[in-house]
Amino acid sequence: MDDDQSAEETAFVVEEVSSIVKESLEAVIGRNPYEHKRVNQWMSSVVEQCLGQLSKLGKPFKYIVTCIIMQKNGAGLQSASSCFWDNTTDGSCTVRWENKHLYCIVSVFGLAI
Amino acid sequence: MEEYHSGDEVSFSPDDASNVVKECIEGIIGGVDYSQNKVNQWTASIVEHTLTQLVKQGKPFKYIVNCAVMQKSGAGLHTANSCYWDTTTDGSCTVRWENRTMYCVVSVFAVAIAL
Repeated sequence: MDDDQSAEETAFVVEEVSSIVKESLEAVIGRNPYEHKRVNQWMSSVVEQCLGQLSKLGKPFKYIVTCIIMQKNGAGLQSASSCFWDNTTDGSCTVRWENKHLYCIVSVFGLAI
Repeated sequence: MEEYHSGDEVSFSPDDASNVVKECIEGIIGGVDYSQNKVNQWTASIVEHTLTQLVKQGKPFKYIVNCAVMQKSGAGLHTANSCYWDTTTDGSCTVRWENRTMYCVVSVFAVAIAL
């Protein structure tokens, strides 16, 4: 009986998802300064890369990945999420990342099928 | 043999959700200026209120409501979403709102529950 192992394989593991997101951000944005013309491209790459890696995990989940990038300019930014789902099977993970020139917040929501 | 048939085709209506969101935002931060002390409360109220209204509709969906409020100070802000789901039943809606001193972006994601 492999109950414990199969539970691991079908659960939303926050650390795993968090490291996938951080790798994506480092690879796509890294140390680049905020550039209005390139931000759109970065955002698409970050979310697509994250989604690609997540679907490769092969778990029975639907995923939603959101990304916010803000220039460091002294402005205040507040973000909140509320979810109506099944607490036992669904989960989320939010990574707050920054470099010298910009802030980036990526949230991943995993909903069990 | 048991079969469940519902009379109506249940699908996500982005227009309905969009109206719910706009009313919530207006109700909470309608005529006020950005305040660092209160913004925490505002974002929490917006997401909770929106979620409650959506759940009241009684449709078989799981919901995720995301809200970002940013002070207007000349900084650039970009947001993006990407979703891996069933495109025939699931959907999302994003509302961008602003007043004199702040921007507010609210996204609603609805994922169908298999009955």
